Formats: sequence, structure tokens, C-alpha cells
Amino acid sequence: MQRREFFKQLGAATAVAAVALPTMSFAADAKPSGPNKMSFETALNAITGGKTPVKSDKIKIKVPEIAENGAVVPVTATVDSPMTDSDYVKSIHILAGGNSNARCIDVNLTPANGKAMFSTRIKLGGTQEVSAVAVLSNGEVLIASQSVKVTIGGCG
Amino acid sequence: MAEKRKSLIKIKPKKYKDGEVVKVDFMVMHPMDTGMGKDKKTKEIIPAKYINSVKFNYNGKEITNMTVWESLSVNPVFTTNMKINGAGKLTVTFTDNTGEVHETSTKIKPKG
Repeated sequence: MQRREFFKQLGAATAVAAVALPTMSFAADAKPSGPNKMSFETALNAITGGKTPVKSDKIKIKVPEIAENGAVVPVTATVDSPMTDSDYVKSIHILAGGNSNARCIDVNLTPANGKAMFSTRIKLGGTQEVSAVAVLSNGEVLIASQSVKVTIGGCG
Repeated sequence: MAEKRKSLIKIKPKKYKDGEVVKVDFMVMHPMDTGMGKDKKTKEIIPAKYINSVKFNYNGKEITNMTVWESLSVNPVFTTNMKINGAGKLTVTFTDNTGEVHETSTKIKPKG
């Protein structure tokens, strides 16, 4: 936990530096492509563009409640949609709120997919909430989340 | 980056008809280093190396594209659905943050 606090402070410090001295920070950032940092709120805002996501039964997220190994956590997100040209799921996003970069993956779908389903395996740094966000073609934003208990963290 | 990547596209079920919706698994051997981990022996930070984007192309038409960040597991698996629409080729391309590009393709042969 101490390490996490340290990284948080470090992130805050760099953010301040970035505002104060933009040119310097760019020069520093250019060489090592360090870890991206994105909080859950920033990631969600970037996806929805300020819209408030609606909790719905249409979207389902399947994650194990207890993950023994945080390095490999299977996640499946399914959206109930006909996937026709007029009504389809534009994108599915998977977010892990407790990771230093909350954004895991953005999947842009087309009607050619036939079904709105996406599944992958993610890393989780600790016990946290995993969310799936779906953006529909009519502009609706749906969200579903589930908390996952992680016994051994998988980051780092 | 002369390192050879192993990747695989699996279509489930193996036998399918035209117009059917099938599952497509894309698996790739990739380290997915976040840039936060340390080498246990040398204590040096392992530089970040993770997949940036994955694209699924079916007969020249892009059906799915993904933007990927570092919190995906080592040797990731991407599973989506696809509607079979005639015989052809499914190509999956991925790029990583160091500029490595890799392409795999498989033939689509619907029966019946």
C-alpha cells in the first residue's frame, strides 16, 4: 500500500510539473515510454464524452468473484443487441478501477460481428471493481460492474 | 525485433455454414510488459512492451478494431464473434508500442 501511495504522489507531482513546465515534461517523456496512468473517472469520461452511463441488464460482465492469481483474470462482456445496421453496439470497453491505468481494452465492433461479445484475460493489481462499458449506435451508454477479490496481485 | 511471434486464429465451431455466427479466438505469444516490473536478477526496470492495437480484417473489410492498454495478461487472447459471409480470408494484424507489426491469416471455408 505504501508503494501505491508513493506512485500516486509521484503522479500528482508529474501532473503539476506538466502544467507548469510543458516543454520540459515533454522532453522527459519522450525517451522512456513509461507506464500510462489513467484513473477510472478519466477513462470513463474519455469513453463516454461526459455522459453518465446507465446500469442495465442488457450488458453482462462475467468475472470470477475470487481470482487466485491477479496476473490472469478472464473477463467476458456480452451485450444483448440485434447487431443490425441500424441498431448495433459500437464499442465495448473493459475498465479495471484499481489498476494504475484503469483502461484495459477498447473494442470497436461493427454489424459484421453478428453478436456483441468480447472476452479476454486481464491483469489486476489487487482487489477491485471491474467494469464493462458499452456504447450503442443510438448513443446510449451502458455499464455493468463486479468486484473481484484478488489474492495475489498481478501487476509489476 | 527479430524475435519470432507465435500466433494463432481459432474458429469455433470448426465446421460452420454460410451466415452462421462463429466465435473467433486470436491468441498471441507476447510479453505484455507494463514498464513497471523489475528484473529479479539485475533489478532493472523492464521497458514497456505491450500490444497497442489489434485489427480483424475479413475479405478486405475491417470488422473489429481494438485499442489495447498494458493491463492485459501475458500471452493475451482476444475473443469476438463474426458472421460468416462467404468464403475468403480472415487476417488479424497487431501493432505494439515498440513498432512491431505482426500479421496472421486463416482461410474461411463455409460448408453447406
